[in-house]
Amino acid sequence: MIITQALPSRLEKIPEFMAFFLERTRNSTFREEDIFDIRISLEEALVNAIKHGNKFNAALSVDISIEIVADRVTITVKDQGKGFDYTTIPDPTKDANLVKLSGRGVFLIKSLMDKVEFFDCGRTIKMVKFLK
Amino acid sequence: MIKEERSNDILICILEGEININTSPDLRREFERIIRDNQKKVLIDFSNVPYIDSSGLATLIEMLQRLRKIGGSLRLANMSQKVKSVFEITKLAKLFEIADTREKALENF
Repeated sequence: MIITQALPSRLEKIPEFMAFFLERTRNSTFREEDIFDIRISLEEALVNAIKHGNKFNAALSVDISIEIVADRVTITVKDQGKGFDYTTIPDPTKDANLVKLSGRGVFLIKSLMDKVEFFDCGRTIKMVKFLK
Repeated sequence: MIKEERSNDILICILEGEININTSPDLRREFERIIRDNQKKVLIDFSNVPYIDSSGLATLIEMLQRLRKIGGSLRLANMSQKVKSVFEITKLAKLFEIADTREKALENF
């Protein structure tokens, strides 16, 4: 199954899309734990794309592609912003960063998904979850 | 999104539903009200919270800092295994006092 969607850069559009996505996982053999991990990762990627990538510009969209096959889910989220240096993201688990209110999104994605790659100067994130 | 109960001077906030980018602003407003009321001991019960994202974590960190500023303290309890794992992965389990049950959280509070 492949799901593609161009999402307007508005945070309130995320629940609608997530409900659509979760509905498609309902009758699958996915474990609840895997769905939880995929859900957080997808939502964090969408928030980052809307907030930091497209900077809430409603004229810009976030392009989502989700491929679900027997043993894995592959998600690609692409924004139309200026990109960012994904090699220098501070570690949010360091003591000095623990009380910071932001900066955990990419860390959560990397922790919860099995494979994470950035492309196009950070405008595109591709993440894979292997299903057990 | 919050049901409130009391145990002596402790306010028990029972959160209802997901804590995400769309629900966090309402939760922040509820927490601001609690701080304005000068409530110093707050226990948050997560038994009805199936999901939390990074914006939810930020809202809780903000609440913890505000409470500490007024000499108060915050405890969290009754998290599902998956919600707790988000605190553990992000090492926020070091920052917050997290108890398995409400009863344990109330001990010596």
